[in-house]
Amino acid sequence: MASIEPQHEHREEEEAAAGADDEDTGAQVAPIVRLEEVAVITGEEDEDAILDLKAKLYRFDKDGNQWKERGAGTVKFLKHKETGKVRLVMRQSKTLKICVNHLVIPTMTVQEHAGSEKSCVWHAADFADGELKDEFFCIRFASIENCKTFMETFQEVAESQKKKDENEDASNAAGLLEKLSVEDKKSEEKSVEKTEEKTKEDDVKDEKPSDNAEKRDETASD
Amino acid sequence: MALPGQQAVDYPSFKLVIVGDGGTGKTTFVKRHLTGEFEKKYEPTIGVEVHPLDFFTNCGKIRFYCWDTAGQEKFGGLRDGYYIHGQCAIIMFDVTARLTYKNVPTWHRDLCRVCENIPIVLCGNKVDVKNRQVKAKQVTFHRKKNLQYYEISAKSNYNFEKPFLYLARKLAGDPNLHFVESPALAPPEVQIDLAAQQQHEAELAAAASQPLPDDDDETFD
Repeated sequence: MASIEPQHEHREEEEAAAGADDEDTGAQVAPIVRLEEVAVITGEEDEDAILDLKAKLYRFDKDGNQWKERGAGTVKFLKHKETGKVRLVMRQSKTLKICVNHLVIPTMTVQEHAGSEKSCVWHAADFADGELKDEFFCIRFASIENCKTFMETFQEVAESQKKKDENEDASNAAGLLEKLSVEDKKSEEKSVEKTEEKTKEDDVKDEKPSDNAEKRDETASD
Repeated sequence: MALPGQQAVDYPSFKLVIVGDGGTGKTTFVKRHLTGEFEKKYEPTIGVEVHPLDFFTNCGKIRFYCWDTAGQEKFGGLRDGYYIHGQCAIIMFDVTARLTYKNVPTWHRDLCRVCENIPIVLCGNKVDVKNRQVKAKQVTFHRKKNLQYYEISAKSNYNFEKPFLYLARKLAGDPNLHFVESPALAPPEVQIDLAAQQQHEAELAAAASQPLPDDDDETFD
């Protein structure tokens, strides 16, 4: 889009003549809703950013056998402060909507795009829309260096999650063994607890889903 | 404001009517916001297509039901029916086609006949194109009729959020309203078996050989 730059400058001059960009020339209209300011929940409160780069993201449209733009903005690897899990999150600039949101897991591999050294591709189960969807992604950076950094980080993270998984498996197994011995005694109490939990869950289900989600997020951020 | 077959939401929603000549980029603009993609192919909209579009603001989540109407007269359908109960509007023209700007007053008149005193944004689309036919200083209609004007490009995303931001501010009467990060929910764990993984890798290799749609583009916001 190098070709567009001069055009932008040109436009700015014209805008100065036509009035400032954000000058409000609209009629006075009465508002139809009253909205109260609310606390912003990014969902990233318990995570640290490992990498933070500007990029453009594409998803592969299998039916059309072509890449389609998904968004342009900032891509981050976010590491959870407690669980150590890492996810890839990208937000569209200006609207700050989510374009990609998936965990980086050991089975993932990232590879260069055949036609561009500034781009790379991978597969993931994406949760950007709040439901898991199998997607092929391609991301393009402003420089080859940024693309390299991204790919290296991606691969390192995937590797590190492998080690963590093995450790977790081991500790889980140990925990299970311990539990086995006390399981019998507790089984009676447990069945009572379970029915209680169930009724609680049902209560929660009656609430509006978005309220519920907000509450969960609030407790998570506390 | 929910539609038949669409669930009502428990946050504020507004009916947004988008009008303007055929080929000015109404559908492309809406699609850009919905999925991020930029559709080059022109397929005229028949009648109307309604798309819910959510934004997160410092005053909570809001939704625009975008009534993306047919610009071409022959595909127009029941115009007044689309406009009724419209709470805000976008009138789109193409800065590379003078006639589409000349027709703006007609769209405005038709709209205002049904929707009185609603916030309206006039959008001059395709400002990324070098050979403009309508220069910014030639756009004066918004001053006469008290509309807000934005130059936009659905292709480069230039000012692409501004029309929605302006309308949201007017509808809420809050000039400080702004977009904030939408919550990035924790993605659930997924287990991938070896067979699926091999399948993905094969498909990925094929995808990696397909060119990107806009490889010459170097900007990232």
